[in-house]
Amino acid sequence: MPDSLCRAEITDPVIMADINLEKLVTRGTLWRGRQDVSPAETVEPTGWEPLDALIGGWPRGALTELLSNRYSGLPLLIPALAGLSDTDRWLVWTAPPHLPYAPALAARGVQMEKVLVIRQASLSQRLWVTEQALRSGDCAAVLAWFEHLEIAPLRRLQLAAEQGGGIGVLFRPTDATRQSSPARLRLRVIPTTSGFDLEVLKRHGGWGGGRCSVRL
Amino acid sequence: MLWTALYFPQLPLEVFVPDPPQDPERARAISHTRNSREIVMRCNPAATIQGICPGLPVPAALALCSGLQVLARDETRERAALQGLALWAYQFSPHISLDPLMLLIETGASLRLFGNPESLSGLLSRDLDQLGHEYRIAMAPTPAAANLLARTHPGSITRTTTELRRQIDGVALARLTRDTEVRALIDAIGLGTIGECLTLPRGELARRTSPKLILLFDRLLGQAPDPRPAWQPPEHFEQHLEFPGEIIHHTALCFPARRLILALCGYLRGHGGSVQHLHWRLEHREIPATDFQQGLMKPSRDAHHILDIFRERIERVSLPGPVVAMSLQVTDWLAFEEQTADLLQERASPKDEAFLERLRNRLGEERVQGLSVIADYRPERAWSWCPPGTGRNEETGEHQPLWLLDPPCPLSVHEQAPSYGGTLALERLPERIETGWWDGFDIVRDYFVAHNPDGERLWVFRDRRSGEWYLHGLFH
Repeated sequence: MPDSLCRAEITDPVIMADINLEKLVTRGTLWRGRQDVSPAETVEPTGWEPLDALIGGWPRGALTELLSNRYSGLPLLIPALAGLSDTDRWLVWTAPPHLPYAPALAARGVQMEKVLVIRQASLSQRLWVTEQALRSGDCAAVLAWFEHLEIAPLRRLQLAAEQGGGIGVLFRPTDATRQSSPARLRLRVIPTTSGFDLEVLKRHGGWGGGRCSVRL
Repeated sequence: MLWTALYFPQLPLEVFVPDPPQDPERARAISHTRNSREIVMRCNPAATIQGICPGLPVPAALALCSGLQVLARDETRERAALQGLALWAYQFSPHISLDPLMLLIETGASLRLFGNPESLSGLLSRDLDQLGHEYRIAMAPTPAAANLLARTHPGSITRTTTELRRQIDGVALARLTRDTEVRALIDAIGLGTIGECLTLPRGELARRTSPKLILLFDRLLGQAPDPRPAWQPPEHFEQHLEFPGEIIHHTALCFPARRLILALCGYLRGHGGSVQHLHWRLEHREIPATDFQQGLMKPSRDAHHILDIFRERIERVSLPGPVVAMSLQVTDWLAFEEQTADLLQERASPKDEAFLERLRNRLGEERVQGLSVIADYRPERAWSWCPPGTGRNEETGEHQPLWLLDPPCPLSVHEQAPSYGGTLALERLPERIETGWWDGFDIVRDYFVAHNPDGERLWVFRDRRSGEWYLHGLFH
């Protein structure tokens, strides 16, 4: 009888504590130090095997920060962007530092009709666009490049991402490592001649500090 | 028949912009001439506090309140304001007639569309609350009765003549007409209310009073025809609004804009039309007006939506000075297409046009772009900006970098090797691109993949004519 079984468990204080812990874990209030990825989190596979093994994927409805010396790391996103461009949502590029080269994107499977580029915008306009895009729910991914960003706008962006459910990727300078951030995932990106070395600075449901290399 | 009367009791005051504009709280009164005397017709709350009331001779009013600003009634302005309101009201019925301070709308025929009189009244109030005029509504079976009841029983809905009789019985005869001859007669016969007159035998009444008064009663009760010419809406929408003060901030312009947009959408509904281009004009005190356009992705007559887009658009307008008036003009409205077609279409491309529209209006169309591939070997010609959602794919750039430097960046050369963040190491054999003799942009280049000491992979080329090195793309 499941009913009596249940009652039997509740009378045992040790098991009862266990049940409550389990509840907290499933609710996401509590996470296990050694658990690889929180089960509640939904992610978009990165398409890079070593990276997926390390972080599970790009978190949906959250911010990811890629920190590097010269805004490196775009190639890491391309397989995910290609996959997302099959949906009916935009891929928004908020004031990229250089021109996204359409033939290269197309050759890697990105559907160009989903690409939306915001050109030459001031910092406040970039923040506004990024927030609008993240919140709208009509953008599968929002990419933005920020030199300096205070914690308050970062929080707004994270909240907007939670609301819209897309993937928010901020490319930021290495200095920003010292700043605390509400982003769900923070990766340090170091370009190598064959690809990238990556270090996890922060992630949801796990410790920072993991490393991997991606060969392009 | 069900006539709806919209009465705007404070219109004579509302059509005047307070002068000086900085002082809207100044005691003000509107005067008109009665029996060659200047009489106060309307006054604002600041004047009421000082003891001013309608009917008071102007010299007496000035004696009570020396700072009172008295303005002569301007019926031309009132009529213009009523015309503006009629533009908005045109969505409720094609049959509108204008009485002084009043719109009379034949809404019986449109009731089927709006449900019952109560819900129609609710719809009217919802908009009127935002149009910035004090108003009263009444509905009655005849235009004369609606006119009377809007003044004496605001908010009433009277469906039948029996009900109407009950409503008007106690109304003072003097409220019925402004005709001086009839009013003198009413004073003379000593009958107080409409009800008292109507209890008299008709023949008796006709003999004792005048045919004019009889006709008034007959029209009131629907026993005589009361033909009212229907107001003809203009072919183009244009409305002008003067502000009670100066507006300095962009956001504050949204309030008057809302009024104009509401009027526009009413006008469009009445015509079965929708709009895609709006022409706005902001007027300043001494400098030339600021004109700007507002574009919509798709024709619309949804006031909410148009106002949302306006909010984004106005942010981009630079104001050379405070704004004192605003006008909206639409010359090319389109027949409205119901949007059922959209529901049937596959959602193949991103469909939230409202999102895109917000972006475009806030940033300008040229800053919100899509990207397209063009089949061309020259990197500069292998892509183009395009309207969002129209980008095309061509499989050409397999080994090319994700970032392009536009234009290519000249590289310094150290010991015969190009340098960028340190000496570059060239990988693989070059790819030669030699083409374009037909359109004047002919290039002869050797492209290399290279990396610098930081491990950054770069796309560089050597111009075979000049021998110079350039950085053209980044792989990281």
